[in-house]
Amino acid sequence: MATYSNQHWLLSHIRNSFISTDDTGMCETVMLSNDLPKEYLRKFQINFQSGRSAGKTKSAALAKSDRIIRNPDAPLQECDFVCYPGLDLSDDEDLDTSTHSFDIQMYPEVGAHRFRSNTAQKLEKLDIAKRKAARIKSINYNEEAQPPENNDFFKRKEVVATHKQRPNTSSSSSSGSGQKKSPDDDLSDEGVQSKLTEQLAKSPKQTQNRFIEYARFDGTAQVGMPTKRINVYLSMLSEPERNYPLKICVISTAKIIEVIGFVCYKTSEQYPAVPLKSIQHYALYMTEDNDDMEDFPPLDNREPCSKFGFSHLTLAERRPLAPVTRVDYHGQLGNKSMTSEEDKSSLADAAVKALHNISLNNGQADPGGGLAGGGGGGGVAEEEESVRDYEKRLLNHIDMLEAPIHRSFRLNLIDKRFFKSEVTLGISGERIEIDQLKSTKFWSQKKPISTPIDLVVHCEIAEKRQYKVLLRIWLKSNSTSSSTFSASNCTSVPLDGSVTTLNTGGSGSGSAGIAHSPSSPNHSTLTNSSFLSSNIRFKHYDFDTDLHMAEQISNKLNCILEMRSSPLRREFLHQRERKLEKQLSKKQLKS
Amino acid sequence: MNQLILATGGYDHTIKVWQAHTGNCIKTMRFVETSQVNALDRTPDKTRLAACGYQCIRLYDLESNCTAPVINFESVQKNVTRLGFQEDGNWMFTAGEDHRVRIWDMTAAPPQCSRVFDCQAPVNAACLHPNQVEIGMGSQNGSVYLWDVKSEKHERIVPEVDASIQDVAISPDGHYLAAGNNKGNCYIWSLTSSPDQKMSTLCPKKKISAHSRYILRCKFSPDSRLLLTTSGDGTACIWKTEDFTKWRELSIENYWVWDAAFSADSKWLFTASSDGVARLWKLHTKSQIRDYKGHTKAITALSFKDEIVSK
Repeated sequence: MATYSNQHWLLSHIRNSFISTDDTGMCETVMLSNDLPKEYLRKFQINFQSGRSAGKTKSAALAKSDRIIRNPDAPLQECDFVCYPGLDLSDDEDLDTSTHSFDIQMYPEVGAHRFRSNTAQKLEKLDIAKRKAARIKSINYNEEAQPPENNDFFKRKEVVATHKQRPNTSSSSSSGSGQKKSPDDDLSDEGVQSKLTEQLAKSPKQTQNRFIEYARFDGTAQVGMPTKRINVYLSMLSEPERNYPLKICVISTAKIIEVIGFVCYKTSEQYPAVPLKSIQHYALYMTEDNDDMEDFPPLDNREPCSKFGFSHLTLAERRPLAPVTRVDYHGQLGNKSMTSEEDKSSLADAAVKALHNISLNNGQADPGGGLAGGGGGGGVAEEEESVRDYEKRLLNHIDMLEAPIHRSFRLNLIDKRFFKSEVTLGISGERIEIDQLKSTKFWSQKKPISTPIDLVVHCEIAEKRQYKVLLRIWLKSNSTSSSTFSASNCTSVPLDGSVTTLNTGGSGSGSAGIAHSPSSPNHSTLTNSSFLSSNIRFKHYDFDTDLHMAEQISNKLNCILEMRSSPLRREFLHQRERKLEKQLSKKQLKS
Repeated sequence: MNQLILATGGYDHTIKVWQAHTGNCIKTMRFVETSQVNALDRTPDKTRLAACGYQCIRLYDLESNCTAPVINFESVQKNVTRLGFQEDGNWMFTAGEDHRVRIWDMTAAPPQCSRVFDCQAPVNAACLHPNQVEIGMGSQNGSVYLWDVKSEKHERIVPEVDASIQDVAISPDGHYLAAGNNKGNCYIWSLTSSPDQKMSTLCPKKKISAHSRYILRCKFSPDSRLLLTTSGDGTACIWKTEDFTKWRELSIENYWVWDAAFSADSKWLFTASSDGVARLWKLHTKSQIRDYKGHTKAITALSFKDEIVSK
């Protein structure tokens, strides 16, 4: 076991414990992109590597022997950033993974605070089943037939010879030669009316529940499907009722937005008099069981409800983000800049810019207030506009927060403008990865590509056709003429090859691509100023996908890039602008 | 229970109870984890719902909030394909793939078996004659039976060799017996009963090539003027019993139409299909009036008990 005096171990243990026990999912947005222990280690390594000349094993051995007799003020050694100092670490990749604390096992079936033994639970289940069974009458299907004692048990009933309508129809058909009825008329109703006809007449079509499509997420009586029980307080109800939660049971795989729809469905059934807006107006908020709504942002619409462990939630109209989360947001950016002092100013700039862009702080009237007090004097259209506007900004903000979280997409990589191969594209705050799916065609499997986010500069939708979209991701090309311009922050994963490597596998151009790749990240040096040379070349990957996914990807990636605001990206945009200007001026000259 | 309810059951192992005129689901009951619902019927007093499936028969109380069954049959073998009640609720019949049709005395506590008939092949269908003593049955080897439960006599007819009878129906006026098979053919016999209360006699009346595939259900309308056949070809066809010509064709494309039920005035029809949606049709205009959505898999059985309010 690692020592408790190891600060680094403690830090990473606290972090992992927090993430694994957080039911809210909030930690993901706040912490996941932002692994401090890792950052410190990385930062240290960069400094250390740039300064060291000796072999790694030697320095590690030195550090180890040093640690034993070290005084507290001694400069930090690499081993201070290692959780388990006793372990021999062969390479950098392993270092990264070892910074996690031990695996914490979660037991999904235990929702409560206290762990109970399995046998106790089983016994209780058996007991309940027994009590239930006692209420059910059981009959043996295979028992011997016993003829009924009473002779009248089977009693023949005289069937009323004919219905009253029958003679009518037969007469009409027999005498029908003269007056032929159309086939639709020949079944007249004869004045008979059923209860169903009567009830249908009383309930016009619009009474059909408009949330009916969400009824299928009902979890009651689902067999063999995990379900979730949640008590939902409904903020739109009036005083006495709103204090009592609506008890719902949904299928665990339902997304939050679908849960909202299902709650609306249940609400409209139970309280038909309460007017409901469309589901986009509502959100689920975390709630204490005394129905106090907490000041957290609502649960993410896109997440499955199984992800959250709440027993109580509140359905309320979407409100502007609470101030608490805004502070968190600032804090996150602050932390990030601390991890790499060099970027501090540029990140701060980006933060200000980003906040400005999404206009959270631009002093506009609180749209939530406008929502709540709607219907007074303001026109409906105006109100709707403000709601839409507000939702848009809210989405923007959520996008920003979630951009660094890893997500993968499945799409086609376009190869030499002709071949397509299906790949998964993984995007996180640290890197992008392109991994080819298994056995697309007969040619051999290509190596997966992993690129640190520092080298990615831009993402755009290059071409829009009717159904398909060409998505282009720009990154810094490695095959620059001079080696001094290799990426500075690339520490863990070497960028493997260019487009051609992936595309043609073992062919000649592929091996050429590998030859161009930077030999080792260890050789990179911290030369901030050298970035700004215009010798940098950029390359791009092209993907073929649908518009929706393309927008998602470019939003996400550009959010990340925007927040990082790397000099490379600025350089890229700068270069591009110049090119455009040149083209424009040429055109103008021609005309 | 004043409101009209529609009960549906299917491959998602659940039974749902709907408010018929609004399409709202009132109640969902868990059936058996290992079985689909083959058939549903309600007791004549409308308080209980009976459901049968693979190795199980269960009766549920519709008036309580409890979703557990009140009666459960044990050691049932194979599929139970049909069940139904005598009009006073005195007895219930069940038909199964164990070759047997059983009569259950529901007045006894607990219910007990009072008659058994052996069809010598898996029984796919059974229905009760309006005279309340004869049962029509259809088996997998193609036989159609008429069985008098009182005298225990029976008659057997094989209308088509190498075909399996999928459903049988007797018109409420007692005039016709219809049987649909897996080739899409529907056979009709006229039933005549003598005044000396002997068993009805069957006389071949008509053969309709109703569908291109499996017939799954056939049913007569309450006024006996219409015959309905549902099929695996994605349609439900309605035939006039006057001359057995096609009157309406309702289509749910690409889905099997498993079951259907008429309203008491024969103007409306509920269908159950493999897209997991039950529908209410206005027969006159062939238009869909309501959807009953909520099942996650195919709906294979439904039950609707209506009543006449005025004439």
